[in-house]
Amino acid sequence: MVKSIAAILTAIALLIGAAIFECYYVSEQFDSFGKELHTLYLKTENETANIEDAKAVQTSWEERKEHLHVWIPHNDVSRIDDYMSETVRLIGEKEYSYALANLEILIHLCSCLPETYSPALENIF
Amino acid sequence: MVLVMIRTAIIFVALLIIMRLMGKRQIGEMQPFELIITLVIADLACIPMADASIPLLYGIVAVLTIFVLHEIMTLLDLKVKPLKSLISGKPSVVVNKNGIDDYQLKRNNLDVSDLIESLRTAGYFSLDSIDYAIYESNGMFSALPKQDYEKTQTSLPLVIIDNGKYDKKNLGITGLEKEFFDGILKEQGVKSEKKVLVLTADGTGKLYLQVKNEKFRTFTVNYPEGKTW
Repeated sequence: MVKSIAAILTAIALLIGAAIFECYYVSEQFDSFGKELHTLYLKTENETANIEDAKAVQTSWEERKEHLHVWIPHNDVSRIDDYMSETVRLIGEKEYSYALANLEILIHLCSCLPETYSPALENIF
Repeated sequence: MVLVMIRTAIIFVALLIIMRLMGKRQIGEMQPFELIITLVIADLACIPMADASIPLLYGIVAVLTIFVLHEIMTLLDLKVKPLKSLISGKPSVVVNKNGIDDYQLKRNNLDVSDLIESLRTAGYFSLDSIDYAIYESNGMFSALPKQDYEKTQTSLPLVIIDNGKYDKKNLGITGLEKEFFDGILKEQGVKSEKKVLVLTADGTGKLYLQVKNEKFRTFTVNYPEGKTW
């Protein structure tokens, strides 16, 4: 009896702890990355962004995604990978208007992806 | 992760309700919630293992959630008596000293042939060889035999009428006509076979008759031309 209750409480504590950490960590990672993307967006809008700026943001994403793979489905990570690679190429070719479209998608993904893991009714069912 | 936990719990509860509604015969030796865990846990472990796009953590979280639910269910099953019958069901006495309890059979989604099959599996070939038969909450079948019941099992009883209908296959095995049994029913004061819950006949001429909503009776007849099986 005591052993069962201890096992239940330990498992619940583990699950709740992991859930809180996941919620905080994923939101924080996407929030920070979103800010970097926003800065790149402003530079691209002013047509002052260069390939080094884009690659810096890409490198930052590469570092984040190593850990994010543990917490979120890998398909979501690769969606950002794809748009990010294309954005780097477009900025390198100075195709700013196309790069802006891609950056808008990336910023949108950063804001909506963490929400898809929140315990909302539409996500549960 | 919270999503995985909530979804796992929802599926668990939904399966538990369905299993309870399906009745005891779907279970077989396990409590309903144990069967659900057996069904679900393999897939929960396999999907993240085989699908590389799903983090392994999702499988671990789901399995851990199932573990928590199992432990909670076990505790409730042991400690909260009113919940025990809700979670695991309760035993049903399907045969008593008056014979077969048709109402209990229907409640458990069983018919007379299922009952006789379960009796045979338990080693009792004749309905009058037992005083009580119980379908346990885990789908197992228990029976309390009459004293010296083995002496009554000298020949294999065949179901002649099952819930108001003649079993043509068994009639063929006996080599007797339907009219012969119609005559017996008239002698016993039964107007139509539709009123009969069960009529069995064994090779020695011993018949077990139970009219719906009445106590069973056993009697012996002589088969025409000395037929036996």
